[in-house]
Amino acid sequence: MSSTPTQLPGPTATRKVILGVAASDSHAVANHLIALSLRGIGFGVVNLGTCTPVEEFAQACADHPDAEAVIIGSLNGHVHEDLRGLAQAKATGQIPVPVVVGGNLSVGSHKDGTAHDRLYSLGVDHIMADPAGLPALLDELRAARTCSLAAS
Amino acid sequence: MRTRHRALAPVAVLGDGAAVPSPAESAGYIRSLGKPTAAEVLASCRAAGRVAVQPRCGVGGHAEMKALLTTLEAEAAPDILTLTIDSHTRLLRFEEALRTLNARPTDLNGYPLVAHGWRRGRELNEAVAAPLEIRHGSPDARALFDVSVAAGMTSFEGGGISYNLPYCKAVPLVESLRAWQDVDRRCGELAEHGVIIDRELFGTLTAVLVPPSISLAISVIEAVLAARAGVRCISVSYPQGGHLAQDVAALRCIPVLAERYLPADVQVHAVLHEFMGVFPRERAHAEDLILYGALVSRLGGASKLITKTYQEAFGIPDPQANVEGLRLADRANSPLLGFMTADADQVAEEMEWILREVAELVDPLLARPDLITAVAEAFDDGTLDIPFSASRCARSALVPRRDAQGAIRYLFTGSLPFSPAVLRRNKELLGTSGEPDLELGSLLGQLTGDIDYFRHLFRETE
Repeated sequence: MSSTPTQLPGPTATRKVILGVAASDSHAVANHLIALSLRGIGFGVVNLGTCTPVEEFAQACADHPDAEAVIIGSLNGHVHEDLRGLAQAKATGQIPVPVVVGGNLSVGSHKDGTAHDRLYSLGVDHIMADPAGLPALLDELRAARTCSLAAS
Repeated sequence: MRTRHRALAPVAVLGDGAAVPSPAESAGYIRSLGKPTAAEVLASCRAAGRVAVQPRCGVGGHAEMKALLTTLEAEAAPDILTLTIDSHTRLLRFEEALRTLNARPTDLNGYPLVAHGWRRGRELNEAVAAPLEIRHGSPDARALFDVSVAAGMTSFEGGGISYNLPYCKAVPLVESLRAWQDVDRRCGELAEHGVIIDRELFGTLTAVLVPPSISLAISVIEAVLAARAGVRCISVSYPQGGHLAQDVAALRCIPVLAERYLPADVQVHAVLHEFMGVFPRERAHAEDLILYGALVSRLGGASKLITKTYQEAFGIPDPQANVEGLRLADRANSPLLGFMTADADQVAEEMEWILREVAELVDPLLARPDLITAVAEAFDDGTLDIPFSASRCARSALVPRRDAQGAIRYLFTGSLPFSPAVLRRNKELLGTSGEPDLELGSLLGQLTGDIDYFRHLFRETE
C-alpha cells in the first residue's frame, strides 16, 4: 500500500449502521471516533451526529432500510428522557433494527441496574459500557438475524 | 433610585418595542460615548507592549449583568469587557429568551440583549469605562449585531464558519457565511460613519485538540471575507493548545498571515484564548495553567488574552473567581518578566510548518472566484475540515493527537490536501511508523488521554 498512513481507506462498505448522539447531548468526540473506527473496518456509517431526537433515527431507518443497527451514544446522563419516544418507534416498526445504547447513562456517579432496566423497557436491545465491543456485537446481531431469517 | 427600579421591571415587548437606530445614529452615539472603542484599546495596548486582558461574562438579568460588569471593572479593571449572550438569542429565539427572562432569568446562560433591547445595552455600556465585546455563537447574528451596535458595543465575535460548525447541527455553511457577510458589510458601513468595529473570529472552534493550521486556515478564510466586505479591524483568536513553541509560533504566524492574505489597511490583532479544554480541578493547578497561558500570549505577541478562572472545571465562575483570573493573567504583563523567551529555533520551525499547512489548505480556495461556494464545497468533499464538528456540514475525518512533547499533530488527515512532506512530518512526530491503530478501544483511550492532558500533567487522575 503506497498511500500515506494518515489517509483512511475509502468507503467500500457492504454493511451499514446508523449512529447518533441522544437528543439533548452534544458530546461529539466519542461519536466521531466511533464513526471513524467503524468506517475503518469497512462499515458504512450514517452519522446523524449530536443532539439527535428519536424521530431522526426513525427517518434514517426509512432512508436506509439496509442498516443493521441503530447505535445511540449519550454522555450527559439524560438518555432515558431523550429516548422516551423509542418504545413507540419500535412498536410501530419505524425503527425495525436492534438499538444499541452506550456511554454514561444516568446522572451522578452512583450507578445501579435500574437505569439499564428502564432503557430495556423503552425498547433498547443492547447496552454497551465499552464501545470497543461494538464490532463484535454487530457481528453477533447480524448472525442472529441471519439465523432467524433462515428459521422463518 | 425610583427611576432605576422602573427601568428594571420585566420587559413586556422585545427591546421595549423601541425601533433600532440607523447605523449613522448608532455611530453618532458611539462617538458621543466618550470612551475608546475596542479597536483603539487593542491598538494602544499593542503600542504599549502589553497584552490586553478580557473576561467572559454574561448573566440573564439586567441588574445582575450591570453589577457583574461594574464589579469586574472595579476589582480587576480589564482592558475590554464582555457581554456573553444566551443560547436562545444565539438561535434567534428572541421571544423564548424574553419569556425565560421574565419567568426565570437565572435559567439563561447569558444576557439576552435583543430581548432587553438596545436602550438597556446602552445603560450597561455607560456603566463601565472599558469597551464591550459581544460573544455569542450565532450562525446568523444580523439582528443581534444591529442591537449591539445601537447599544454602543464596538467589538463583535463570530464568523460564518467558526460560529456555525461548533454550535449548529445542520445550518448550511452558505447560509451562515452569507449572514455573516451582511454583518461584515454593516461594519464597513459603520467605518464610513467613522466607527471601526473590531470583528473577532472564533478560531477556537470546537475547543478540542484543534491543530493550529486548522484554526488559522479557517480564520484566514473568514478574515478575507470580512476584509472584502469592508471590515477594518480583525482579531484572529487562537486557542492555547498547551505546547509552548507551537502556541507561540501560531500566535506569531497571525501577523505573517495578515500580511500575506489581507489588505495593508486592515488592522489585525492576535488573540489568545486561554486553554479551552478540560481544565485541572485543583485551584493551584488551574492557576498555574492560567498564568502559563498569559505568558504564552506575551511571548506570542498577542494583542489580547481571553481569561479563564480557577473554577473552570466546575462550570460558570462566580464574579470573585473571574476577578482573580483577570488579576492573575495580568501578572504576565509585569516588566519583571522581560527575560522570558521561547526557544527561537523551535518556534521558527513550528512557524514554517504552520504557514505551509495553512497555505496548502487555503490557497486553492482563495484562487476561486466565489469564496463562499468554494468553502461550502470544500467542507462537503473534506478538503476543508475541523475535528469533532457538531455540525454535519463538516466531515471531521481529521483526527488530531498530541505528540510526545504535547504538541497537537494530525493522526488522520481525511481528505485534506496536504503535501507528502506535511503528512510525513506529522507521522514522524507521532511515531506512527506503520498503519495507525483504528481499534476503537485504543483510539478512544488515546484521545481521552490527550484531551485530559493537563489533568494528567498535574497528576490529578492518579
